[in-house]
Amino acid sequence: MKKIQKLRSNLAFNIISAVVFLLLLFSWIVSIIGYVSFTNAFEREYSDTTANMAYTAAALVNGDHIDDYLLDGGQSEEYRKTKDNLDTFCKRMQVSLVYVIKVDTTDYGRFTSVFNLVGEDTPYTPWEIGYQQDATNDTYINLYKEIYKGNTLYGTVFRTTNLKGAPPHITTLIPIKNSGDEVVSLMCIQRPMSELKESRRPYLINIAISTIILSVLVSLSTAFYIRKKFVKPLKRVSDETARFAKENKKGEELGTVSSINEIAKLGHAIDEMESEMIGYIDNLTSVTAEKERIGAELDIAKTIQENSIPNIFPAFPERKDFDIFASMTPAKEVGGDFYNFFLIDEDHIAVVMADVSGKGIPAALFMMVTNILISDRTHMGGTPAEILTFVNDNICEHNQADMFVTVWLGILEISTGKLTAANAGHDDPAVYRKNGKFEIVKNKHGLVVGAMKGVKYKDFEIQLNKGDKLFLYTDGVPEATDKDNNMFTIERMLEALNKNKNGNPKGILNSINESVNAFVGDAPQFDDLTMMCLELKEEEDLKTLTVDATTEKLQAVNEFIDGFLEENGCSPKAQMKVDLAVEEIFVNIANYAYGDSVGKAEISIENNDGEVTIVFKDSGVPYNPLERKEPDVTLSADDREIGGLGIFLTKKNMDSVSYEHKDGKNILTMKKKI
Amino acid sequence: MQITNERNGNSLTVFISGRVDTATAPELEKFIEENTDGITELILDLKDMSYTSSAGLRVILKAQKKMNAQGSMKVKNVQSTVMEIFEMTGFSDILTIE
Repeated sequence: MKKIQKLRSNLAFNIISAVVFLLLLFSWIVSIIGYVSFTNAFEREYSDTTANMAYTAAALVNGDHIDDYLLDGGQSEEYRKTKDNLDTFCKRMQVSLVYVIKVDTTDYGRFTSVFNLVGEDTPYTPWEIGYQQDATNDTYINLYKEIYKGNTLYGTVFRTTNLKGAPPHITTLIPIKNSGDEVVSLMCIQRPMSELKESRRPYLINIAISTIILSVLVSLSTAFYIRKKFVKPLKRVSDETARFAKENKKGEELGTVSSINEIAKLGHAIDEMESEMIGYIDNLTSVTAEKERIGAELDIAKTIQENSIPNIFPAFPERKDFDIFASMTPAKEVGGDFYNFFLIDEDHIAVVMADVSGKGIPAALFMMVTNILISDRTHMGGTPAEILTFVNDNICEHNQADMFVTVWLGILEISTGKLTAANAGHDDPAVYRKNGKFEIVKNKHGLVVGAMKGVKYKDFEIQLNKGDKLFLYTDGVPEATDKDNNMFTIERMLEALNKNKNGNPKGILNSINESVNAFVGDAPQFDDLTMMCLELKEEEDLKTLTVDATTEKLQAVNEFIDGFLEENGCSPKAQMKVDLAVEEIFVNIANYAYGDSVGKAEISIENNDGEVTIVFKDSGVPYNPLERKEPDVTLSADDREIGGLGIFLTKKNMDSVSYEHKDGKNILTMKKKI
Repeated sequence: MQITNERNGNSLTVFISGRVDTATAPELEKFIEENTDGITELILDLKDMSYTSSAGLRVILKAQKKMNAQGSMKVKNVQSTVMEIFEMTGFSDILTIE
């Protein structure tokens, strides 16, 4: 089946089949035409010959005496003689039947036999004279009529099928006339048609054989021709295209693959297509490689840019007095917006929000320079105005690209909440007042940084109280645009801020992000989106006690801790354990941290959902008590050392204890669920 | 912390109540040091002792060592919180607790 299916889709097979079919059709038509004309010619010839025979036979019969023969029943000498002549004629001429009939002229439907002679090897029985019979059919009746009336000279009837035992034959009828030129009877000669059949068969066989031979020859030559001129060249073309599709490499040229113009053109077209495609592939490969390289470099640039500003949150996990969160979403891989914040000292944090003109790599480079200048200069001291004045002068000196940057720089004194700031053309911040709401706080704007050398910036102050929040942003937030070109606006930004005004900085930034995203929908991000929120926290949940590190202060420490634990609903059992750990650590600091001199110990405690965290800080000699070897609690009383159990008990009674030495301080943190 | 005692021949019972911590342990240490010479049976009644730190343990261990040399020592009426600390530190194995 598969082979047949394959053949059916084969070009040569299809064409050859069509040719063979057409040839067969052609030969069939030729045969039919030949058959018909052969038969016609044969029949005409046969009927003429038979008619001539009939004339000859008719001449043997005396038309004047027909009625006499019938009257005396063929007893006369003349009748017998005539009959003998006709019999001789019948045998000589090898006809099957010679008979003379007298037709009843009233309706030509009946006739009376006059003579009836039968040839050799025929199945007929001769009729007696006077034998009467109905005409065989209407054809005969009509013929009788026509001949009797003289409308036709003779009639011929072909009987190709066997009828009543008679083999196929031809019957020719001619009139026998009397001396008065009247038709008195009919002379009928019947000849078998076997000759026709016999000579027609070889004719048909000849035609069939020659057609078959012709078909085979034509098929073979067509097949050969098609194979050479079409199939082979087409196969070369298809092989070549398959090879090219697989290898994508230049192969042997097809050139003039065929003398047939169209196929040759196809070959040339494939050659041309291959070289063009190879060129295109080469080009595409190099462009892609270049694009990948640039993409990889941009990724690195993005990482560098992201890491040039603090991006790990919480940024100051140990600070309980303020919280800060910031986010930057560049519109392109790298952006021109940036934020920054850093502690200048324990009590001062600097916050920077800036927006470089333009976007992409140039803006990112400019941003890096500006950011480094601002943070370096800020660490050197001075007010924001002084810092911006310095930074502006420095940037203007080398600013070939005429870029500029808007900067909002503030320095917050954490303990007092005094925020000193200067604004170089940047958007005014929003400030949340405890129990109030976020509002834009307008202040003096200076010129953007990088525009003109020698610009003097001015400081202004914003007083933040515990529980207040500062929200800084770039114009990407209010100017975020939806698909109908509507802007997010300051009003929507404030609305979004106030929707979650009690949240922490991270929560507030998240709600702004959500609001902006919901507003923008499917529209592409056009500008960088950068925001920062600083909260000056209330110290409700953090208690700190700073005392001289002496054992005399143990009671004060205990009261501080117990007071907190009782307030927080601690169980007496847990309280005892916390007391024990606090005593051991505090006594340890009192005895060893400062040697003979007296230093300070700071103890803070806070409650986070039922887990208290107690932090001890001292500036004594660096010492990690947790590294002390644990006592062997299985020894007998006499073998055991007196002391050394304090740290062991602390570890046993608390859920976790950790130590670090940071900024010159021993910091021991312990936690316990209460 | 408060200390009371009851002497019966060579037997001494010391009643300790309240907190034994770094601040108060020295007082207990001094009392035992001064009142146990010639004592062959020392009984510490801790019915009212609610708290002890390592400082208190240190005094108890010191007393145990001294009594090992001159007689015996028993600890009575230990509160569960204190007992937990004894067990944590292996003191439950070296003290005779009733």
